[in-house]
Amino acid sequence: MSELQDTARRLLDEGAAQVVIGWEAGRRGARPAFVTDAAGCDRLIFDARCVHDLATFLNPRRSQVADLGRAAVVVKGCDAKAVAGLLREAQLARDQVVLIGVRCGGVAAGPEGPEPPALTADTVAARCHGCDVREPASVDVLVGEPQPEPPVAATLDERVAALDALSPAERLAFWTTELSRCTQCYACRQACPLCYCERCVVEKTEPQWVETSPHARGNFAWHLTRAQHLAGRCVGCGECERACPVGIPLGLINRKLQQVVYELYGYTVSDDPAVPAPIGAYAVDDTQDFIR
Amino acid sequence: MNGRAADSGHDRAADGVATQSAAPRRVLLLTHDGLATLVEELATADAAAVAPAWAGGAGRAAGAPGAPRETEYRAVTGAAELAFGGRLPRLSLKQFFLPPTEVLFTWRRTAGDVELTAAPTDVPARVVLGARPCDAAALPIVDRVMNWDYADELWNARRAATTVFSLACGVEDESCFCSAVFLEPAATRGSDGSLTPVDGGYLVETFSDKGEAFVAAHADRFAEPPAGAAGDELRAQAEAFRAAARERVAANLRLDHDRVRDWLEHHFDDPFWATLGPRCNGCGVCSSVCPTCHCFDIVDEPESVGHGVRRRNWDTCQACVFTLHASGHNPRADQNARYRQRVEHKFLVYPTRFGDVLCTGCGRCSRACPTGQDLSEVLAAIDGLSRSGAGPDTGGAGRSHGAEGAAS
Repeated sequence: MSELQDTARRLLDEGAAQVVIGWEAGRRGARPAFVTDAAGCDRLIFDARCVHDLATFLNPRRSQVADLGRAAVVVKGCDAKAVAGLLREAQLARDQVVLIGVRCGGVAAGPEGPEPPALTADTVAARCHGCDVREPASVDVLVGEPQPEPPVAATLDERVAALDALSPAERLAFWTTELSRCTQCYACRQACPLCYCERCVVEKTEPQWVETSPHARGNFAWHLTRAQHLAGRCVGCGECERACPVGIPLGLINRKLQQVVYELYGYTVSDDPAVPAPIGAYAVDDTQDFIR
Repeated sequence: MNGRAADSGHDRAADGVATQSAAPRRVLLLTHDGLATLVEELATADAAAVAPAWAGGAGRAAGAPGAPRETEYRAVTGAAELAFGGRLPRLSLKQFFLPPTEVLFTWRRTAGDVELTAAPTDVPARVVLGARPCDAAALPIVDRVMNWDYADELWNARRAATTVFSLACGVEDESCFCSAVFLEPAATRGSDGSLTPVDGGYLVETFSDKGEAFVAAHADRFAEPPAGAAGDELRAQAEAFRAAARERVAANLRLDHDRVRDWLEHHFDDPFWATLGPRCNGCGVCSSVCPTCHCFDIVDEPESVGHGVRRRNWDTCQACVFTLHASGHNPRADQNARYRQRVEHKFLVYPTRFGDVLCTGCGRCSRACPTGQDLSEVLAAIDGLSRSGAGPDTGGAGRSHGAEGAAS
């Protein structure tokens, strides 16, 4: 911990950054912290409760964060993939931000609690299964001890496979029930590091592409649109599902998207911004059999 | 159906004097079996009984092994669904009075004209069993807004059709602060009756005509408390439950509302706000789960050629587009301004107009916030700033800059 705090203090002292975005312990558990002075660096922590994807705060539209000055951001593997997404999509220039990488052996399902939980198959976040980044690459500083692989939870892949095994009518019934709770608050969008549009399609009214009323039609339109826009871009950080106030299992949709994109394009989300995503690349042998 | 929803007779006066609990009109006993039969009876009679129930769904509600199950208010049909001992329901009771979406009227184009049909306001009678007192208290608080310059027919019709029995609360956790906003864990404000856990069931108290009518209509399910020492013992158990809960919640937060209101009024541009905005996602989960947030958006939706509906949907001041002008100008330019709006509406604007606060201390906003924004911590910080004697808009003399300005 002191290595992280010392690094943050040094970056602020040297003027390499005006704000360090990391995690602190709040009353209900870990939460994002914005440290602007050396003394505040004592608050910085990193443990299994630090689930938040801090790349979300690099969204160029978040002027209240940009106002704090040049940022140094603490990133674990999934955060680094999201930062790579922002770089890949030209939302951020690499020299605008200092990246402090932390070695991560998985995080818990949520940030709650006065102490980090011991990571077991029951407590680890579902998204950590299959995560290949113990050490985020392309960072400016790397801190922390080497970490083991995260425990294997009941995986998202198994749950997606169970859904795939259903008939289309059964699958529709499943999602109809789940999405019936949606109030179209868009907390999923706001929590997403890659949902950075200046004006989201649901906020366009001339014409109104997506009905904003939380009835079945509007909810399906919203979640299908969201899924389409994140295909091949979603890093699987799980923040959308965690933010959802009514507990819709959005992680199942995201994982299915990742599977489809892999099957069609052989692409898995990379923490290297130089690796192009399918949406931004063209190859002569790209599959075209969906064009009929 | 255009009448104003009457505050319960024992409602807190608008002059700022707190009345936490009313003297009951009747005291009865409801056994666990009696409650189960009552719920089944209501279901058979097609009369909706809304109650806290174990949440469905394949998401978080399914939970990790060993994690406490989530609960939700919904119409229940059997006692097995009841989650009276569960966690605070994830959404408040608000959805049954101001649904996330509802039709205001339908329109149909006819030859040379447009025919409008208002949404029906004949709401079937229903009862809420086991409302949290912080959810029940929110109803008369929002009544004022819904009847201020315009009597909201749909809200009022649902209020008139609903009898609310609250369940004395044992206090959820460290984010509860009802006792800091003129309530308590067994507050009866907004309740037609209340249930307090005692051995074998619940001590039932009624506070309004609606509450009395409900117990009279289901008289077989309720019993007179035993006479003598046995009855005294039950009343003592109920009081002990309430007292323990009061003590638990009182430790969480204390506020001087006059001073908080005064500070808010004179510190619109205080740097304190810039310590809160950066963390905020602007998602408005706080207002979705809030029992008193009531802002809505109006949308027109064509259903097909020549006919459609006008709806109102939940909205939130935390969204960027909430105040975005057609010109492109946004008077609340960033999340610092939007978070300030939420606090000011609840603890300055509403109090100035109605002599009360737009908050029941349920703590849902703090629990649901994906980034750990904590309203009771923010209020404690403002209370602290208001004591520090800093003059208007001096902006945090003596405070360090950064989010720690809000840390307790």
